Amino acid sequence: MRSKPPKVIVYLANIPLNILLYATLIIPFALMIYLAFLSWNPAAGVDWWQAPFAGLNNFSRALQDSRFLAALGRTTAFVIIVVSIEFVLGLVLAYFMIEEFKGKKISLSLIIYPLMLPWVVVALIFYLFFQDYGPMNNIFLKIILGDAAQNIHWFLSSTTAFISLVIADIWQWTPFIFLIMYSGLSAVSKRLIEAAQVLGASTRTIFWKIQLPLIRPLVLIAVVLRALEAFKVFDIAYVMTGGGPGTSTETLSLYIYRVAIEYHDISYAAALSLIVLVILAIIIRTFIWYSFERGVRT
Amino acid sequence: MSEKTESKISRRRFISASIGAGILGIVVGAAGAWLLKPEVVAEKTVTTTFTREVTKTVTATAPVTVTTTPVGIDMVAQRAINGVRDLLAKGVAKPGDTIRILHVAGSRANLEKAIELWSEYVPEIKVELITLGQEPDVYTKAMSEAVTKAGTFDAVTIFSTWLGDIVESGLARPIDDFFSKYDPGYTGDIAPIEPLASYTTLYKGKRYALVFDSDVFTLSYRRDLLTDPKLKDQFKSEYGIELKLPDTWEELIKMAEFFTKLNLTAPSGGKVWGAYFYAEPRFAAYITWLNIFIEAGGILFDLKTMDPKIDTSEGRYAFDVMLRLKPYMPPEAVTASWADLYDKFVKGETVFTAAWPSLSKEAHRPTALVKDVAGSAVLPGVEVNIGGVKKVVRAAPNPVNWVAVISNYAKNPELTYLFFQFATSPDIGKDVILTGVILDLFRRCWFTDPKYRPAFEEGYGSEFVDAYMKSLEISFPDLLIRGGPEYLGKLTVNVNAVMAGTKDPEDALSETAADWDSITKKYGVDSQLEAWKALANLFPADVKEAWKAKGYM
Amino acid sequence: MTKRIISKFLRYIVIIAFLAWILIPVLWMFTLAFKSYPEWRVAYFFPKEPTIMNFILVFEPKQIIGMMGATALVDPVTLPFINSLLVVGASTVLAVIIGFFTAYGASRYNSPGPFSLFFTLLTRMLPPATFVTPIMVYYANLKLLDSHLGLIMLYSAVTVTYGIWILKGFIDQVPVEWEQAALLEGATHIQVVFKVTLPIVKSGLVVSGLFIFLLNWAELLFALVLTNVQAVTLPVHISKYVGAVGQLYGPQAALGILSSLIPVVIGYLIQKHLVTAFTFGMVR
Repeated sequence: MRSKPPKVIVYLANIPLNILLYATLIIPFALMIYLAFLSWNPAAGVDWWQAPFAGLNNFSRALQDSRFLAALGRTTAFVIIVVSIEFVLGLVLAYFMIEEFKGKKISLSLIIYPLMLPWVVVALIFYLFFQDYGPMNNIFLKIILGDAAQNIHWFLSSTTAFISLVIADIWQWTPFIFLIMYSGLSAVSKRLIEAAQVLGASTRTIFWKIQLPLIRPLVLIAVVLRALEAFKVFDIAYVMTGGGPGTSTETLSLYIYRVAIEYHDISYAAALSLIVLVILAIIIRTFIWYSFERGVRT
Repeated sequence: MSEKTESKISRRRFISASIGAGILGIVVGAAGAWLLKPEVVAEKTVTTTFTREVTKTVTATAPVTVTTTPVGIDMVAQRAINGVRDLLAKGVAKPGDTIRILHVAGSRANLEKAIELWSEYVPEIKVELITLGQEPDVYTKAMSEAVTKAGTFDAVTIFSTWLGDIVESGLARPIDDFFSKYDPGYTGDIAPIEPLASYTTLYKGKRYALVFDSDVFTLSYRRDLLTDPKLKDQFKSEYGIELKLPDTWEELIKMAEFFTKLNLTAPSGGKVWGAYFYAEPRFAAYITWLNIFIEAGGILFDLKTMDPKIDTSEGRYAFDVMLRLKPYMPPEAVTASWADLYDKFVKGETVFTAAWPSLSKEAHRPTALVKDVAGSAVLPGVEVNIGGVKKVVRAAPNPVNWVAVISNYAKNPELTYLFFQFATSPDIGKDVILTGVILDLFRRCWFTDPKYRPAFEEGYGSEFVDAYMKSLEISFPDLLIRGGPEYLGKLTVNVNAVMAGTKDPEDALSETAADWDSITKKYGVDSQLEAWKALANLFPADVKEAWKAKGYM
Repeated sequence: MTKRIISKFLRYIVIIAFLAWILIPVLWMFTLAFKSYPEWRVAYFFPKEPTIMNFILVFEPKQIIGMMGATALVDPVTLPFINSLLVVGASTVLAVIIGFFTAYGASRYNSPGPFSLFFTLLTRMLPPATFVTPIMVYYANLKLLDSHLGLIMLYSAVTVTYGIWILKGFIDQVPVEWEQAALLEGATHIQVVFKVTLPIVKSGLVVSGLFIFLLNWAELLFALVLTNVQAVTLPVHISKYVGAVGQLYGPQAALGILSSLIPVVIGYLIQKHLVTAFTFGMVR
């Protein structure tokens, strides 16, 4: 049915979307691109259309900005770590939740509750959790480590501060991956599994050879959606560690937020955004190619 | 095969679409710029003509004729009320006009008090509040207004730290004309204490703000521990000096060590730490460093070249003191947000600490565990060699400090100004400040005049009122030049990194200096130097003396 | 048989462990909401003197609470709550509808062209801090600052991408033959879209709607910069309890609970779609 599309469908598919995009985002986006080549910020004392051109200065500055590059690398690492852990946890849990048991319904609703909470509140809960006076050291680790737990200061070293961010993110978003994996697994036809069982396949074989391959497209979607959002991680870093100690847990979003909103270095922030945009464009382009042009329907 | 060609086509289509979109974007952007520009310019012209009109009326009617004198309030507030009556009579302001003020949630109660009192005298003019949550949001909103010129608000209360940015962005309206016309009481016994009154309101010699608050740091301490005779004897035998209020940071380090090693138990059941001074990464770490740096005779920028002068012996000394104090501070000092310092002190878990005046209010609340034993004093100093004589230089930082700024895009700047003159006058201001929360006292008469002092003593404790007046007199400003938040923000993350042990002090100082240099260059050295010179002149006398002795000034 | 018992046992262990992991912080939030100021920074869960002050305070911010006797800090939560419902609800509906049409075109005819699709994904992935300033300048000129309309447009524009991608998966699964059959019977293309395809992908609409709703419901930065008084949303309102008066953790926790009510109710209402729909129509 790749024939010439009927006009009415073309209109439906294009006009609403384009009205929305052009009315809201295109002009600000063009403005952002324009600003990246200027040397302007509100405190400069001139209006933005009068600001001097900076050429590629902002970009060369960005490429030498160790704080930016470190934040970029750190955020990438963060995305890879949290998405893989969340994926494994979500899948394992979904696998165990598939079968019927008592209290399944209520467990299901409880597990997805973190998704319903505002991120700011999640961040502050975990901020309190990991403080020296918080329950992490004083209740949970105390059971394991005894009084030695008092010597752990989560936000004082770069590693533990980073780990605390990872934990908070995993807590909030594993349920998301779980939900997708769970619905995927429950959609796999029971008969198929029964048939395999009759043929003598072990549970493990069924999982690896039947269930997992069948939900593969879902795995892709879940991972990509999660990675998209994880890349923007902001609230937890801002509230929990403040990017500290020093700038060692500063994420890309937090750094750009600081440049754009706290330092008000708008042109530079625009240039940073453009660099991120180019990187993302390549990734997204690959994703589109992989999932649509290559054809997901196997 | 067919799939391949398809993807090829779509790739080509994609590239052309992207290029097309890019070009389109630039065209749209340019068109947008062209389209948006006239409107903004039009708005601007309106504003300027309007301002000119106001100025005309100013020159036409020199002194305000007092028509009906409101009774029971001081002259500053009276002049403000009469000014409003005058504007109403002339038709410059109309009954039902609204003044919109952008402010932070913490000052809500204070402003509501001011509005309540205002409406007793001029019920015709309404005042509306736009409340924002966190302090940085106010900065963002104010700078946004400077860009959009939308007239969202008529006045904004800002951190004095932002003054340079706010003025240079074109948002702040100079108020010298209103100042001379209405006299907000900045001379004589009622005047706000100098140098605070000058450095928080002046930028490059022009007046842009009215003081609304003071935020000078004092030393808070546990009086019970410091005056305990047994501990006094023990300290003297161990360290050879008296246990008393520390005059220098060196003494404070010894006492902090002493108290930490005693392993005392606080009223809350927690451990008692010797000290807690800010070193956290979000905002406050720079304050402690800056305090010691300035007392050691350090100067932030060269007064001739605007080169950063923080990578110096004074800068290293400040880090040295902080690092020597670190073992006696709870780890939270380096990680937790600023409010945790308050919590620790109020629970009796720190002996020495420094913070805003609100700490004293907090420590005297009925629920505070230290309400009977919390003392206040001037911060310790640093011994500096001045002309061969050793002198302890003491200075107190004044981080943030709310001031009121009138927007250039205000509907009626004069009317807005008059509201703030009213709200900060000796009588009205007293009630506004004593409403509590984040605003604190700044006029000399509030400390000295028996008419006002008892009320403040009741609110803060008399020991605090005395220590605070002394602190105000030796207070020094935040970096109130353009880019202030950016300069201090970069310093803060580096101070925090040093305190967390992830960065070497040397590296931190040289990196900060390099960062500062690029900020200065961004705004132009001459312009920044002009602002810094004007600001440096408003530092307290002792600090300037040290600068002269070191050849910095 | 023993193997079965072991696996059953293992299953319970995993599920219980996971539930504990999820519930402990949730429990912390709930107990925090019932703690009074001196107990916000302590290491125990259950308050010694439970109070409902935090909940009263968010509706009637007049009481003395927290540091420095802070009073009357912010407005009641009512207006932000209504605003959030209005803005997030409207933008979700808009994003799902537009997403559906676009996804239909993309699935059937590769219609809206790669640029628009690409652009929607890109705007979703960029950190909001990067383009909030240009949007602010643009909105100021359109007089859309502090307006519901401005937020609705922006929220649907940055989340429409999920409407498109998720729904495309569902529409792909609708057999083209059914549509062709309907066409042969004389239905118009429009009728086919609304009468044949739309009902089949209903759970797709629901799930993409829920997802978009959750994202916009928690969105902070755009709303922070683009609203002042009239259009303030719930997350912005929650952020007002942080600042120079210290962190008012108790009211924030109470607001967190209140804020989660709406998503929970929605989740409950669409329960039967929830599990089937999150397959995105991709598993057969």
